[in-house]
Amino acid sequence: MLHFLVPRLMSAVIAALVSSLIVFVLMRSVPGDIVGQMLGQTSDPTATEALRSFFGLDRAVHMQFLEWLAQVVQGDLGRSWYQGRPVTAMVADAFMVTLQIALLTLVLATLIGVPLGVIAGIREGSRLDAAIQAFNLIGLSAPVFWVGLMLLVGASALFGWSPPFTWSAPSENLSDNIAIVILPVLSLALLQAAAYSHFVRECMVNELRRDYIRAAFAKGLGPAEIYFKHALRNILIPLVTFMGLILIQILGGTVVIESLFSLPGLGRLILSGIQGRDYPVVQGALLFVVFIAIVVNFTVDALYGLIDPRMRA
Amino acid sequence: MKMIRWTTRLAALAFAGSLAAAASAQGSDALIYGKSDPNARSGGKLTIGSLTEPPAMDPYHQAADARIRVTVLAYQGLFYEGANGQPIPLLAESYTMAPDGLSYTFKLRKGVKFHTGQTMTSADVKYSYDYLRDPKNGSPGAGDLSTIASIEAPDADTVVFTLSTRNGLLPITLTHRYGGVIPKDYFSTPDARTRLNQTSVGTGPFKLKQFKPNSVLVFEKFQDYWQKGLPHLDEITFAFMPNSATMVVAARNGRIDTGIFTRPQDAEQLAKVAGIRLVRTPSMNQKSIDLGSEHPLLKDERVRQAIALAVDKEEVMKASLAGYGQVLGTMVPGMQERWGLPLSEVPNQKVDLDRARKLLAEAGHPNGFEIDLTTIITYDWMDAAAVTISEQLKRIGIRVNIKKVELGVWIRNFQSKQMGFTFNDWPSSPDPSLLFYRHFRAAPQGADFRNWKHDAASALLDRGREESDYAKRRAIYNEFQKIMASSVPTIMLFSSDLLTVERERVRNHQQHPTGWYFGLIKTWAPN
Repeated sequence: MLHFLVPRLMSAVIAALVSSLIVFVLMRSVPGDIVGQMLGQTSDPTATEALRSFFGLDRAVHMQFLEWLAQVVQGDLGRSWYQGRPVTAMVADAFMVTLQIALLTLVLATLIGVPLGVIAGIREGSRLDAAIQAFNLIGLSAPVFWVGLMLLVGASALFGWSPPFTWSAPSENLSDNIAIVILPVLSLALLQAAAYSHFVRECMVNELRRDYIRAAFAKGLGPAEIYFKHALRNILIPLVTFMGLILIQILGGTVVIESLFSLPGLGRLILSGIQGRDYPVVQGALLFVVFIAIVVNFTVDALYGLIDPRMRA
Repeated sequence: MKMIRWTTRLAALAFAGSLAAAASAQGSDALIYGKSDPNARSGGKLTIGSLTEPPAMDPYHQAADARIRVTVLAYQGLFYEGANGQPIPLLAESYTMAPDGLSYTFKLRKGVKFHTGQTMTSADVKYSYDYLRDPKNGSPGAGDLSTIASIEAPDADTVVFTLSTRNGLLPITLTHRYGGVIPKDYFSTPDARTRLNQTSVGTGPFKLKQFKPNSVLVFEKFQDYWQKGLPHLDEITFAFMPNSATMVVAARNGRIDTGIFTRPQDAEQLAKVAGIRLVRTPSMNQKSIDLGSEHPLLKDERVRQAIALAVDKEEVMKASLAGYGQVLGTMVPGMQERWGLPLSEVPNQKVDLDRARKLLAEAGHPNGFEIDLTTIITYDWMDAAAVTISEQLKRIGIRVNIKKVELGVWIRNFQSKQMGFTFNDWPSSPDPSLLFYRHFRAAPQGADFRNWKHDAASALLDRGREESDYAKRRAIYNEFQKIMASSVPTIMLFSSDLLTVERERVRNHQQHPTGWYFGLIKTWAPN
């Protein structure tokens, strides 16, 4: 177990450190800062200086970084310069919104995409395969923004209905929450289902051409056993890796969908942080995204061991 | 059913016009915040869609117009901005100016309560304006109050402002843009600035109930508000929608009751929906092209004049706003009548390509030149305007490269006076001195963002600020506008109308030309 854990933990810590340094430097190399935004069309030197010192922007950049890092190590991501709220709380709130969308999308996309991919792979070259491939093509090439907009405008035109645009958590108001998440989840799931289906189909087709499958058929095994017990089992590893990638992608924030449906998720938190040059928020939220990516990768690695006994060695 | 209503605001204008510009003014309570609706009933909630979101709710330290729009509901100054840019007494009941113009005495309104429950006294007023004017406190409002030498509170209902030089526009700077009267010593309490995102501490008719960034902002009725019977609404919710397509759908399906749209095609589309009306209000904003004299080509006055003579403002406005705006001379429409140089007298307004070419040749560019024109991302109107202007300038041989930058980057260039050739979008500044002084007065008194360094113009701006007699001020500012239009540090293009979409249940919502939500104070909405 240690053999499995230690190198991964080490690389995770290094990844987090390097990425936070990059974020820190990048944010500060973007022209303009919070002081400029707060003062707008004024630029009184005394006021500028006072605000720069209020936010600690007058100190050397490496000192700012080290102080921030010292805080982070103690589990404190600082406070938003605009809101004054702890960044951890803001990230947690936004993450709960994004997590709900991501998990629902993942479940829906898996439920649609995997069976479609399996069927298309088994029936390679059939009309059904062609239809599923057409679906994949549309899903992969239609921009998420466009799909979301079409669903929004379509629901309004056909049913005179639109989601409420003020967020309610499931614990606050479940029916409102469902009404809010349904369209964004559908828009994201269409893309992801198509990606799944495309991926699973390719894997199935490759797998079914292998010698052991032919041998299994020759041995007289039933198709169900061959497809599901042998072929599908063997594509589980790449499939889990793929799921991990999709999850990271959605969890990192889907700015476009969040803007379209007015969702207060991680993507918008980061975007508004960047626009307002709220450094603590951007640094904290991006560090969190890196952390999530590490956790997901870690889980995927651990799952390999469960799925494939050879990996446990 | 298509309903487009022009807000005439005759009542408000007539009222504001009747106020004497100088010496003393007496507020007529009934007309504060516009006319009342005799049928108005109390109760009801309103949801407003908003494309812009305030970064924070602190009126003292946030310059953003999106913040001013909403905090006018919770915070009040000694005056507020009338519909044509006239200061109207609010927390001050009346005021007098000393004969030498160097001190103003304000009588305060009695029985005004803060959202914290305390009663407002002159000590609070003194504290608030002292805090605001000290540049060390980092408020964008400090610059406007730099002529104040001291503030005294001789008794509970009186404050006296003493000035270092005459300043005729003092009353209009004691309004809503920045600050507002808050309880004494508020900013000495821990986390005072950011706590304003959870609780408001002003005297306004609504108090802050909830602010969830990227989601909603909720105000509730302040029960102890000093204007009896106001406000009518129990609650106002602002739903932040960063995408205008979303706001169209939300308005169509009744998820929002009202909202200001920036794209005319969205508003027109909604005006066709039954039960929805489009209200068009002339605004005080100003879309312009700035010509910074630090630019090697633009430092030559003849080049700037040539550009002005090649720009057809009407055509640009139609391309940008589909006609929902007003072409400007040198003054915003809301203030044209009171302060503007008559359009027929403004130089360099008519397209004259021959003269433009001649000026370019004289400046040493007979074959024109190439220049970058900066536009700001998310300012939709600039895209169409940039394309139109580049076509227009092509006719005199100027080849334009359109360069898009993000707002934060643009602000940095602006504040460091490296604007070059750029579009600009100014929010409301309801007085000619506020409009011009900081922008065009040579440093160090002004910021002179365009590096214009024009001595005669600066002298006029100084005189305009010291003068308090309306007729004299008007003459000074007309002279200034003539110089500005002839030397062309900026080309004021047009102002966009405020396009407010309302459902029928929204009653007596008088949109203020600043776009700030004063009008909601007398709005009512039957459930």
